[in-house]
Amino acid sequence: MNMALGSRGGWWPALCVGTAVTIVAVYLLLVASNWIYLGWHDTLYFFSKSRMWERFWLTVWTSTVSTSFSLLIGIPSGYALSRFRFPCHHLVASVIDLPIVVSPAVVGAFLFGVTTRFPFDWISEYYGVYIGRNVYGVLLVQFTVTAAFCARLMKASFDMIPTRFESVSRSLGASPIRTFFRVVLPMAKNGIIASMIVVWARAAAEWEGLMLFVGATEGKTDIMPFAIYLDWNGGMMGWVTSMSIVCILMAVSAITAMRMIGGRSSVW
Amino acid sequence: MSGKRKRRRIFHAVFYSFAGFLFLYSAYLFLSNLDQLFVTEAAIQTREITSWGDDREILNQFGGGFWKDPYFWKSLNLTFVTTLITTLIATILGIPTAYAISRYRIPGMSVVEILFSSLIVMPGSVIGICLIVMFNYGPLWKLQNALGFRFAHSIFPGMVIASLVLSFALGLSAWKAAFDSVNPRFEHVARSLGSSRWRAFRTVTFPLAKGGIIAGIILAWTRAMAEFSAVLFFCGTFHELPASRFSDFTRLLQMDQADWVSVAVWAQVEFGNIEYAFALAFVLVLIGGMSVYVMHRIGAKGYVW
Repeated sequence: MNMALGSRGGWWPALCVGTAVTIVAVYLLLVASNWIYLGWHDTLYFFSKSRMWERFWLTVWTSTVSTSFSLLIGIPSGYALSRFRFPCHHLVASVIDLPIVVSPAVVGAFLFGVTTRFPFDWISEYYGVYIGRNVYGVLLVQFTVTAAFCARLMKASFDMIPTRFESVSRSLGASPIRTFFRVVLPMAKNGIIASMIVVWARAAAEWEGLMLFVGATEGKTDIMPFAIYLDWNGGMMGWVTSMSIVCILMAVSAITAMRMIGGRSSVW
Repeated sequence: MSGKRKRRRIFHAVFYSFAGFLFLYSAYLFLSNLDQLFVTEAAIQTREITSWGDDREILNQFGGGFWKDPYFWKSLNLTFVTTLITTLIATILGIPTAYAISRYRIPGMSVVEILFSSLIVMPGSVIGICLIVMFNYGPLWKLQNALGFRFAHSIFPGMVIASLVLSFALGLSAWKAAFDSVNPRFEHVARSLGSSRWRAFRTVTFPLAKGGIIAGIILAWTRAMAEFSAVLFFCGTFHELPASRFSDFTRLLQMDQADWVSVAVWAQVEFGNIEYAFALAFVLVLIGGMSVYVMHRIGAKGYVW
């Protein structure tokens, strides 16, 4: 450490550490404010209600389904973005990133417009699957956001693997497909699992699109972050704060699991 | 040989098609809604049930006649000014913090990293509720009552605080990555040659990390522009408030009776002014697209959303 104030210019590390400690304290207070507000007894009361856990399981299963679809699309496209060089690849990567970069409310508004159009009206007409104000709409919103997020994280995971191993495998006569499944995927396994957890947590956190595009149906589309908004409008601060606590625990435990596996959420 | 080439071509085609699907999906999502800016007969019929503004006829023009409406320009002005203030505060606070996190071994560092990483996967509504509970209850509420002003539901401290929370977290990740990429040896050499710690930072580490710091500033600004839920919970909308509620300074800056742009998108969708909402939304898409393109070009490092 060796950052005594006595040494010349020692005010600078002291300032840095002081700022860091203050900011971390503010953020910890921010995250802990719900517990401080609600208290232990009321937290237990709201956690014992079935209304909470119905919403929790709704959040879990919708985000699990949308995460699996995102992974199906995201792993190959992350590999393509990481390894292939094609004209305008920055532009293509930017367009793929757009749903996570613009405000999620804007994504909700655009989904609201797009679901009246070609593939969606066709699906609802011929297959009778209406994607809109039901749980399919929830899945579509989560998929739209997490597919881009997943491609981005997978690109980072594949970027961490040196291309040498692929070249060696190819030079020894393995086909590209064999190389991908036998060399690249096993090496990227930890990164992929870690990214999967982050993508799942991100899918469980998506709600702004739901507010514009799906709307609220009690027990059907009100996943937990959206239920926080609805109950806040209803003035039910107890429900709001207890559900925030659950969401915070979900986010923190997902990130902790990701770090234990050894992945990073810091990419690009 | 040709069989091998064919297999490789199939392999490339499969992987390109997945990336192409995502690209086309995103492009289709954003471009196919351009016609939402044009009012159809059916939309004019629905206009009868909405009440928005005093002069109704501007709604029947391209994009709801957004260029004639002061609300559009005032909202953009408000959002730009507020996000620039947010980015400035985040930069001033974030560079020393990132430097400390990157260089010094502070106990409990993994907790700090989990805290800042989990903010990106925390729902925006939770961030907003945390802000509301933190500022509107308990000791901070008593402090505000004693001082006679409010953090929440205000433009200057309120919107800046709400957009700062995540903007700072994302900027911090980029600035930390920037300082991590600079070898501490250079600084040690500078110090052994007799420069002070501050001088070593200013003349050695900072210039080497400059690219990453600029990338972090762009990232923080883009995230501040993309903020929605925290502003919605912590500040709400200002459009419906009477003009007397705004200070003269706010009116001078042309920021009265204006909303945060993404909150305005939501509010206009709720009012039924779809084409007006899309006019606002396309501005956000253009801004976000340009800044993410710049980030890709300069190879920025940091969190994604």
